[in-house]
Parts: sequence; C-alpha cells; structure tokens
Amino acid sequence: MTAVAISRAALILTVAALLAVPTVLPLLGSPFWIDVVAEILIWSLLAASVNLLLGYVGLLSFGQALYFGVGMYGAALSVIHWGAGFWGGLAVGVVAAMIMAAIAGSVAVRLTWHYFAIITVVFSLILYFAAMSAKPITGGDDGISFSVPDVVSLGGLKLSLADQSVQYYTILLVVAGFYGLFSIIVRSPLGVRFMAVRENDRRAALVGINVYVTRYVAFVLAGALAGASGALFAFFGRYASASYMFYHVSGEAVVWAIVGGAGSLLGPLFGTGLLIVFREVISTFWEHYLFVVGAITVLVVMFAPRGLAGAWNDALQVLTRSKDAGTSDTTASSGEQDLAKSTTDATRGGSGA
Amino acid sequence: MLDGSDGAVALSVNGLTRRFGGLVAVDNISFDLPARRLNAIIGPNGAGKTTLFNLITGEIRPDAGRVKVHGQDITGLKPHQIVRRGVSRTLQIKSVFTGLTVAENVRAAVMAHEGLVSPFRPASSYGAVNQRVEGLVVQVGLRKQLNTRASALSYGDIALLEIALALANEPKLLLLDEPVCGMGPQETEQTVETIRTISESVDVVLIEHDMEVVFAIADEIIVMAQGALLARGTPAQISSSAEVQEAYLGAPEEAD
Repeated sequence: MTAVAISRAALILTVAALLAVPTVLPLLGSPFWIDVVAEILIWSLLAASVNLLLGYVGLLSFGQALYFGVGMYGAALSVIHWGAGFWGGLAVGVVAAMIMAAIAGSVAVRLTWHYFAIITVVFSLILYFAAMSAKPITGGDDGISFSVPDVVSLGGLKLSLADQSVQYYTILLVVAGFYGLFSIIVRSPLGVRFMAVRENDRRAALVGINVYVTRYVAFVLAGALAGASGALFAFFGRYASASYMFYHVSGEAVVWAIVGGAGSLLGPLFGTGLLIVFREVISTFWEHYLFVVGAITVLVVMFAPRGLAGAWNDALQVLTRSKDAGTSDTTASSGEQDLAKSTTDATRGGSGA
Repeated sequence: MLDGSDGAVALSVNGLTRRFGGLVAVDNISFDLPARRLNAIIGPNGAGKTTLFNLITGEIRPDAGRVKVHGQDITGLKPHQIVRRGVSRTLQIKSVFTGLTVAENVRAAVMAHEGLVSPFRPASSYGAVNQRVEGLVVQVGLRKQLNTRASALSYGDIALLEIALALANEPKLLLLDEPVCGMGPQETEQTVETIRTISESVDVVLIEHDMEVVFAIADEIIVMAQGALLARGTPAQISSSAEVQEAYLGAPEEAD
C-alpha cells in the first residue's frame, strides 16, 4: 500500500468510528463518552480555526475564543429573542463571528507574528470585558441559558437535541460539513494563495498576490470556523457565557492545533481528541491534570514538531519506503507536509500558553 | 536615448530619491533604459542598486521622483499591483516558496497572474494553468525537479525556480538582482544562458557584481556610486572609463 492509500484508509476508519460512537459506546457501558466525543468534535472546530491561520497562512492567533464567544451568543440570543431554530441559530452564530472577524481582522492582519498574536489577544480581552460587564444582555460570567429548538420539525418528524444520539449526529454532520468546506478551500486557488503567503509573503507579493487581502480572507474564514464551534457548543450546553471568550480558551485551541499538527487538515481534530480524553480520564482522580497536558505538549513540540499529523506522515514515509523503494514519493500534498518552519516558529509562542 | 535602440523606453526613472535617516540611498537619479536591450547596473556595495530596484517594484516608496515602465507611470503603486503591470524581479537572497514543490511554486505564481481566487474548484483542475506551469518549468530547465520540494533544491536550481516565478506574470520588464551571486562556474554558465535567452523576448535589467558576466551579456551598463549615477555606456566604454576605474574597478577588493 502506498502512503496515500494508508492515509485514505485511516480517514475512512475514523469516519466509521465516529459514526459508530452512539451505538458502540453504550454497549461498552459508557454513554457518557458519547457527549465527550461530541464535545471533542465541537472544540476541534476551534482548533481548526487556529490551524487555518497558523498552518495555512502562517498567522498565530491567540484570540480565536472571541469568535467562539460571538458564535455562542449569536446562536443563544437568536434562539431566545427571535425564536430561531437550530439551523437559523447556527447560521446567525457563524455570520456574527465572521462580522466580528471582519472588523478585528481589518486591523489585525496588517501585522504579523508576535504583533499579530498580541493584537488578537487585545481584541479578545476588550470584547471579553465588554461581554462580562454587559450583564443584561450576555449574563456575564453566569451566562444565559435557553431551551433548545428542534433540529428537524417536518410534519410528524421531530428530531430534538434532547435525544443524545440526534444531538451527536447533528454535531457530527455540521462539523464534518465544515471540515469538508475547509478541505475544498485549501485545495482551491484561494488555498494556493494562502500557502504562498505562509511560505514567503514577500515573494507572494512579488508574484502579484495581495498579501493583506489574502490574510484578511483567511482571518474571516477562521472566524467562521470558530463561530460554528461556539454556536454548536451553545446548543450542546444549552447556554452561552462570556467566560468562554477569555484568552485562556484561545490558548487551549492553539495547543490542540499544535499537538495535532498545524498545516494538516485533520491533525487538530486528533490533537483536540487526545487532550480532551486525557482531561476527562485524569481529572477524575487528579485535579492537576493540566500538568499532564503541559507535559504532552512539551514532548510533542520536542519530538514531533509537526504534531501528531507530522509524526504520522513521517511514520508512513518510513513504512512505505521499503516497499516503494525507487518510486519518487516526494509529492505528498503540500498542505500536509513541511510546515516545519511555521510550526516550530509557532510552537515557540504556543508552548508559553 | 542611446544608440542602437529603436527609441522605445523600457524603464524611465526621473529624479528618484530615497533617504534613510541621514543617508541618501538613491540621490535624484534619472535615466531612460532602451527597450530590447540587456541593461546592467553595476556599482560598489552600498551604491544604492538594490534600493533602486525596491523603489521600482514598490517595496519602498520614493521620497521624490517618478518611475515609468514602457511609458506607464507606476510610482506609488503597491508591489502586487506593479507585478500586475508586467514588472517582475528576483532578489539578491533567492526567494521562493520553500516548503512547496517546484510545480506548486510556479502554480502559485501563474494562478496569481491569472487572477484566480475561486475557493471551491481544485487548484489542480485548471488545464491551462498546468500547461503554463509545465512550460515555465521547462523553460528554466527544471523539468526533472518538477515534484521536488524547493527546500531540497540546489542553490543554482533555486535561482532558476525564482526566475520561473518571475516569468509567470509574462513580464515586460524583468529586474534581476545578482542572479549568479554565490554560484559555481557551471551554475553560472547555465543561468547566464537562461538570462540571455529570456532577454530576447523580455527587457532585462540586471544588477551584478560578477564583471565577467556583466561584460559578457550586457548591451549597456549603468554605473552607480553613492546613490548617484556615475557613468553609462557600452561595456567597452565603461571598461575604458577612467572615472569608473577610479570609483569602482580600481578598488581591487570590490572587483571580485
């Protein structure tokens, strides 16, 4: 088998496993874990938002929680005040986050590296404190709760998030949809522009790419991913709270993305999964589980600077080389490989989180 | 206008000035470079040659003066807009998309030139783009390295790849900043040959320290010193100019 075929098989296996979760986990006597997997799927979109910026255009944002929070409130407030349904609330959350990103991004993407990282934090802090103090609207730290609308309500057919399986499959559907879009975009001419800017912004300008606009578009799209994550999390938890806009949440997403492997489409999903599973397992008997998360992060950064996805690709190269000796295997898609530069640069910033 | 050309002007610089603090890097320079010639700019380190290129390509803004390319005023435009108007350049420190393959490098440049921004269609599905990518790669002689990552190329091949990127916008004017700097004899020969072929269809302006190369391929030479234009003429005129000898060629540590 070639490396590509193995990767494809692994993807199919992952999708099959995700589809089987609501059937299999109760048989193992742990329906609680269905919600954990749902939560991983939701949070992985926030990590994907970090990944789009860091792994594809080379911008490290420590402020993606802002767009998560805006997505959360967009969904919650539209359900509470406008009686929006699930899909309407999701759309409002995503669009609101994109508008927020369009506003903040117009300033932020003029800067790069640490200046960019700092301004993203500043924006998220300003809006965090604004949301905390706007208690009548946002509920501040306590947040606001709402009762979830039906996902589908067609004649006799009613599907509600109150049903754990319906909720899980709804989340899986939406998350998969966003990964599908993400995947299409990074393979498109727009994605080619992203990668050109990531690799060398000066040369990108010298081949006629408007670097500012390219980064701006990526920033708004990343806002959409974070907004979708926040909106889903609002429906999942039946509430929205300003506390999720804190930069601590942004930092966690950066760690998930880097551990999973920035620049690889699904790496951050696995990074998010690994670290949330660790949290769930270890926090039941040791409250200082973050030590373990920190240790894992340091180990990954030291021994697999391109994250789990990078380690996986390297392993595939080694495994398939002996069989495919002689055939040139240097052509794996650029999206998946050699982000050594941007990722190691990024991890220097990320490990401080 | 100098002898030999048919009167068309490739690059016209008028009163161009740029200061960095107290240093006047480019000091009120004016010249017209005739089209369909291979022009070279020489001068000692710090003469302002690269700053002049940066001013032409919009990477830094002039304090005064205008730049025209083929009669079109490009002063004050942004680098990507100037590229769109048919001006390309290579950099002294070779600049390519390191983590991408040769094909992906050139594809990014061709797609930028074609103005393709679709977020939905696969980038690999544009037949015309793929053909142009292949054509450019063949043109600079990197056919065999099509799927090699730029980070794995030899220094000479990186320089050739950079030239392919610079040709992707079908330039009318190509600025080359020390194209053979740091190359061995064989790489130099290959690159010089490529430049010579390109200059048959594109107006080329070259900054170069290697005098052998300059005198071998340039039709006309401009000599800069301390931000100003010192002399200009054919290679024969320049090599016999006492002024140039003194300012530039006479200093042995500069004339490598």
